[in-house]
Amino acid sequence: MRFSDNGFYVEKYVKCANCGLLVYGPGIQTEGSRDIYCSDWCVEWAGLKAKGDPEPRLPIVPPRLPIEEAMAARVTERPPADPVMMNILDSTMVSICREMGILLMKTSYSTIFNEGLDFTCALADAKGDMIACAEFCPTMIGGMPILIKTCAQEIDFSTLEPGDVIVHNDPYRGGLHCPEHTFFKPIFADGALLGFAVCIGHIAEIGGMVPGAFCGEATEIFHEGMRVPPVKIRKAGKDVEEVWKLLLANCRTPRQNYGDLMAMIGSVDLGVDRVGQIVEKYGADVFRDTCEDLMDYSERRMRAELDAFPDGVYGFEDVIENDGIERKPYTVAIDLHIQGDEVVADYRRSSPQARGPVNATLGVATGAVYNGILHVTDPSIPKNSGCFRPIRVVSPPGLVVNVDYPGPLVAGNTETHPRLANIVIGAMSRCVPTRAMASESCTGTNFVFGGEHPDYDEYFACYDIMSGGWGGRHEHDGNDCVIAINGNCRFNPTEVFETRFPLRVETFEMMPDSGGAGRWRGGLGFRRELVVTQVPITASQCSDRHEVRPFALFGGAEGGNGGTMVKKAGSEAWSTVCELYGKTSSSKYANVRFDPGDRVLLWTPGGGGYGDPAERDPGAIAEDVAEGYVSAEAASRLYGWSGKA
Amino acid sequence: MRYLLGIDVGGTFTDFVAYDAMQRDVKVWKVPSTPTDPINGILNGIHSALSPDTISLVRLGTTVATNAVLERKGGTVAYVTTRGFRDVPFIQRGNRKAHYDMSWVKPKPLVKRRHCFEVTERIDAYGKEIVPLDEAEVARIADRIAADPEIEAVAVCFLFSYLDPAHETRAKAILAERLGADMPISTSFEVLPKWKEYERASTTLADAYLKPVVSRQLRAMRDRLDGEGVGAPVVVIKSNGGEMTLGAAAEAPVNLVMSGPTGGVIASRYLAELTGIDNLVTLDMGGTSTDVATVLGQQESFTTNFEIEWGVPIQIPMLDIRTIGAGGGSIAWIDKGGMLRVGPHSAGARPGPACYGFGGTDATVTDANVVLGRIDPDNFLNGTMKLDKAAAERAVGAVAEAIGQSVEATALAIVQIANNNMVSALRSVLIERGLDPRDFTLATFGGAGPPHAAELMGEIGIPRAIVPPHPGQFSAYGFIVTNARVDRQRTTQLTSRRFDAARASQILEDLVADAVDELKAQDFTENLVVHRALAMRYLGQNYELELSIEPADLSPERAAGLWAAFHKAHEARFGFAIPGETIEIVNYLATVVSIGDKPAFPKLAEGDGPPEPVGRRSVVFASGREEAPVYRREALLAGQTIGGPAIVEEAASVTIVAPGQHLDVDQFGSLHIAAHTNA
Repeated sequence: MRFSDNGFYVEKYVKCANCGLLVYGPGIQTEGSRDIYCSDWCVEWAGLKAKGDPEPRLPIVPPRLPIEEAMAARVTERPPADPVMMNILDSTMVSICREMGILLMKTSYSTIFNEGLDFTCALADAKGDMIACAEFCPTMIGGMPILIKTCAQEIDFSTLEPGDVIVHNDPYRGGLHCPEHTFFKPIFADGALLGFAVCIGHIAEIGGMVPGAFCGEATEIFHEGMRVPPVKIRKAGKDVEEVWKLLLANCRTPRQNYGDLMAMIGSVDLGVDRVGQIVEKYGADVFRDTCEDLMDYSERRMRAELDAFPDGVYGFEDVIENDGIERKPYTVAIDLHIQGDEVVADYRRSSPQARGPVNATLGVATGAVYNGILHVTDPSIPKNSGCFRPIRVVSPPGLVVNVDYPGPLVAGNTETHPRLANIVIGAMSRCVPTRAMASESCTGTNFVFGGEHPDYDEYFACYDIMSGGWGGRHEHDGNDCVIAINGNCRFNPTEVFETRFPLRVETFEMMPDSGGAGRWRGGLGFRRELVVTQVPITASQCSDRHEVRPFALFGGAEGGNGGTMVKKAGSEAWSTVCELYGKTSSSKYANVRFDPGDRVLLWTPGGGGYGDPAERDPGAIAEDVAEGYVSAEAASRLYGWSGKA
Repeated sequence: MRYLLGIDVGGTFTDFVAYDAMQRDVKVWKVPSTPTDPINGILNGIHSALSPDTISLVRLGTTVATNAVLERKGGTVAYVTTRGFRDVPFIQRGNRKAHYDMSWVKPKPLVKRRHCFEVTERIDAYGKEIVPLDEAEVARIADRIAADPEIEAVAVCFLFSYLDPAHETRAKAILAERLGADMPISTSFEVLPKWKEYERASTTLADAYLKPVVSRQLRAMRDRLDGEGVGAPVVVIKSNGGEMTLGAAAEAPVNLVMSGPTGGVIASRYLAELTGIDNLVTLDMGGTSTDVATVLGQQESFTTNFEIEWGVPIQIPMLDIRTIGAGGGSIAWIDKGGMLRVGPHSAGARPGPACYGFGGTDATVTDANVVLGRIDPDNFLNGTMKLDKAAAERAVGAVAEAIGQSVEATALAIVQIANNNMVSALRSVLIERGLDPRDFTLATFGGAGPPHAAELMGEIGIPRAIVPPHPGQFSAYGFIVTNARVDRQRTTQLTSRRFDAARASQILEDLVADAVDELKAQDFTENLVVHRALAMRYLGQNYELELSIEPADLSPERAAGLWAAFHKAHEARFGFAIPGETIEIVNYLATVVSIGDKPAFPKLAEGDGPPEPVGRRSVVFASGREEAPVYRREALLAGQTIGGPAIVEEAASVTIVAPGQHLDVDQFGSLHIAAHTNA
């Protein structure tokens, strides 16, 4: 990374040519090449791959940022691990994170926070390693370690004071996408930095080209809203007014954003207080040592899981239908190299980065590998940086899985992340078939809109998520209408939606036959029909899977597509936004105006099927027909069902 | 002799407490439960101790509704809703139970999709009718329901009915007219007039689902009792801890889903009143699970977040009781990372802990307590059951070998980890709700609770603990000190920008009148106490803080005080306020309680000097091994004090006093544990 002399701006974003991490300092260069690498391991791995070695084996050497080098020098002998203390501290820290999350949920303003729960609260140590988190949003859990460590390169932790609060959202500095704001506040014990209380949350409206951030036609990061490098929004407990004013001047809904930002600060304040209480009780040394013990413990658990998988290279691919700018598909590909109790996840077979917003940052790509692996391993492993140590992600720069500045990327976190997590699971299906799932919907649908609220005399912006079908799994059909695995969000109840926004919901129903056929079929998607009522709205969408269906496994059928259709007031015909507004893609578009009386029909994909439909239990088919999950016609066509409807 | 009889039907035992007001006499006993037909256990218990004609009133906690929803054995329900929305109970909220668990199966609602019907009608978000109710369509649906012999009850839930119930009320009338009086019908406005259609639908479905089975079983119980000469009136306890008549329960059975475990909390509230302690956190620990709840300012705490399983809510106000899978039978094990864990698997009643000698080999919390000398193997259940200490040592020894520790250190670690599981539950009801443990007293009961009180206090920073008399039957005590209680809530949004005080007042007073009517219909007409509250938030937030108010607070002149009180409450609960921000009132809450006569419990004689120990034994505490004196609880007298370390034994439990603590006996026989002030 090359900064200006005074550090005010970045002159050049420098990334490792192999794994894609930001490189601070000179890095490593090889003869005859201008490529820069972060480590010898990356030079070697890139070399093995370049030679075409089909099964390279290279024990992982974890990447080390300068902050970790500095902290490593300070490592001292630890007393033997105390299992009782580990038990107590782990459950107490998870409870603190949960309490932070409850405060955020109860005090925030955006529905994406308080109904959607699109946030995560965590604790980190002084190296930026995550030591505990609560079960909120998984993308953010996987993204957190890179995020804090990247911030540490720009904010000298030794200058932090009690009461400082740092805000950051820059996707090019370890972030996920611009709406995802990270707040962290240092925790001190006896004058020394002990760690951080962290919360990451999705702020619905952040300025940029469209209300609600999801600009389906963005071609640069600047279209996607305000970018905030790590800066202090509070210094020693006092608001930095200039930062507040800058932030709130650059969005369409300042009152709402102020409420959300206050809630996030309230959450990290609480985390710092609570950790202070436990440190007071057990002592800072015990706290530090036990956190290390806990990370070592999670690492052991993860290694034991990986060790049980047969060694080998397992690859999988999927296709993103277009980027909103050109009608051209993008491949996302993964190769999982399982070597003993470690795994290298290599994305290099993926397509070059797109012009439109489907690109992922390294934080997203890394988090997606973690997410996929966590889905096929024991869910009870404590989630901290330790469990990620045996996993090395390789995501070379300039690809759709590691976008270079200033490419757009807002859909990377919500659309590309689940696609990546699902190909990781797909690759694992070739290694441990009974633990895998066929593709889920993999989309949040991301239909966003804004306008002038007739009742409150202020601008409103809405980001609400929709959920689709899970894929079929060994022994179980896919669940119906469950959020894609990058998040764990809830959508707005109709009664909340209509109270908050001047629109009406006309239908809210499942889509029969949208689940891919299989021995265990995919779950169903659902559709929602909206009517614009009192005022015009400006709408955008950043979605996928309108053309490329969710993949099946082991002989099942693909799941149903998602879609968006519009019926203008006075018209009887449903049309796509391509037909009505000349847009390139029906799943990705920006700033379409809908007037009172216009109707928008949005539907979500169903999941892929698992296993041969011919092997499906006849009783399950009959029940599907009786309950209307599968039509009688489809049941006879796909399953050879001969019963009466 | 006229007895007020409280009955707590548990999984293993049915507990009885009978109070004779004339003699001020309390009888306490238990008989084995009869899970296949709980009434047998109730009748066995009554006949074993009382003559049926001496009973004046029976109050009982019932698990009829709980079991029907948990085991999915309710009635077959038809669901009638707004056109376009029949899948709301199936789609639910879109989230999932846990991250990373691909084996999770999304729960089904309490209705089949083929029994869901849509009606053309619509009320909008302002409460305005935009599509009139298609009455002919409702009639056609009624005919289809009538033609389906499977269907036993109907649930009606229309969008925005909490703003205007006219369509639901009319639809119910048409359905009732065509289906006859025998078909139970629940409307969402009557069950839960609050916003968020999925949660309201789920609650309404539960009510309809329970009606056939609850009314059948309550009627059967009444008939059996009459047949056996127990003619006394019977009332059941609602999930909110208030009593209701059998007739009222059959009309609104959704109120009974948490009836069973309420006794301990009601009893704790009464204990708070008797002892003058404001805040209690209760720990009711049995063999397989532990219930935790709070009493704040001598009032129980309530929640509307109950779920019959994850994702299937019943949002009726009920006592806030958290249950965790940690009890005396919880098993210690080593996980794949080499960490010692305790529970949630339990040895249950069979084979039970290794020391029971029924063939169990896993080390349980009870085994660890035996190894540590905290439970006397020769004096368990008053010596009626001999425990096998060697078996306990063998079981704990196997764990010790695996982690490379001594047997004693391992037993101590098992108890500490079990305690930590309970501390997590205590944290969730205290610290995670913004309450400070230092303001609380820990009330421990259930057979397995009292041995853990001394150490739990220190772990979570609760300064005092109390062990009530007869901790093993304490829950049944609760049922002889209940009041009748009705909670009413309704959603209607109003903001501080355009506040209509008269409208707010009208909504609240309507709710109060409703609640009073419901009580009067059951003949609870005496000593009515009314409580009003508003659920408020900053405009834009989605969760509310409840503020108690008086009727006069809703005058236009005093509204400013209302807003100021909200800012203050927000600051106190969340650590910040947003001065000047618009405030929204969302829900109106009214509670009316008919305070019943309370028994005057017998007092202990005053003690003269310190009590005499009946023996001594060697006990391992966290601080090390000590010789501790052993006392019999029956011999303790009011005002006596015992210094720790000490053991107090009684029939169904044992209380530990750690070094550095002391125990005081109060006039009603409760044991109070606290640390020495200078310790």
